[in-house]
Amino acid sequence: MPQHTISFRIRPDGRVEELVSGISGAGCEQLTERIEARLGNVQQRQPTAEAYQGQAATVNPEQTLSTPVT
Amino acid sequence: MSHFSTVKTELRDREALVAALRDLGHNPSDGEQPVRGYRGQTVLADLAVASPEGSELGFRWNPTSGSYELVTDLDLWKQPIPVERFLAKLTQQYALRSILAASLEEGFQVTEQRQATDGSIELVVSRWDG
Repeated sequence: MPQHTISFRIRPDGRVEELVSGISGAGCEQLTERIEARLGNVQQRQPTAEAYQGQAATVNPEQTLSTPVT
Repeated sequence: MSHFSTVKTELRDREALVAALRDLGHNPSDGEQPVRGYRGQTVLADLAVASPEGSELGFRWNPTSGSYELVTDLDLWKQPIPVERFLAKLTQQYALRSILAASLEEGFQVTEQRQATDGSIELVVSRWDG
């Protein structure tokens, strides 16, 4: 029974960082799309190393764009 | 496929915006309301925040950007925090409300929610498929 997990960090200025991890499937894509419809456009999306290596990997939390909310 | 993404939050969803305003202790009105400005001038807002003296701030829907925008007379700003801070706090709360609502709709459960020392809100949602 696969578990889908999504982690969010909501910055004090309202920027949202999202990390989809584990065995990701359609469920995560749907949730991601639903959230993005309410929040706004994704500024950056990149596959985590896990997607290449087929194993758990840590993601450097500094991989974000720092465009302030205007 | 796992991925990592960053979203610059826009106030697109009325329900989440109303919930966020309530979370911050405001009383948003439903429907078009006048927002008061300098020398009694008013401007119509799609959503106004009520105060005893009338509304001094509201939000107007911008069809071009597809999001709500703050409308207020900055000379009459009476909130205890500056407008930039007000908008930042509101946007953070709006993002939290949006993510919580969307997660429930998709059958995800909140497994972790905490306030980080830098003021960020950390949230983890999970769903078991079987």
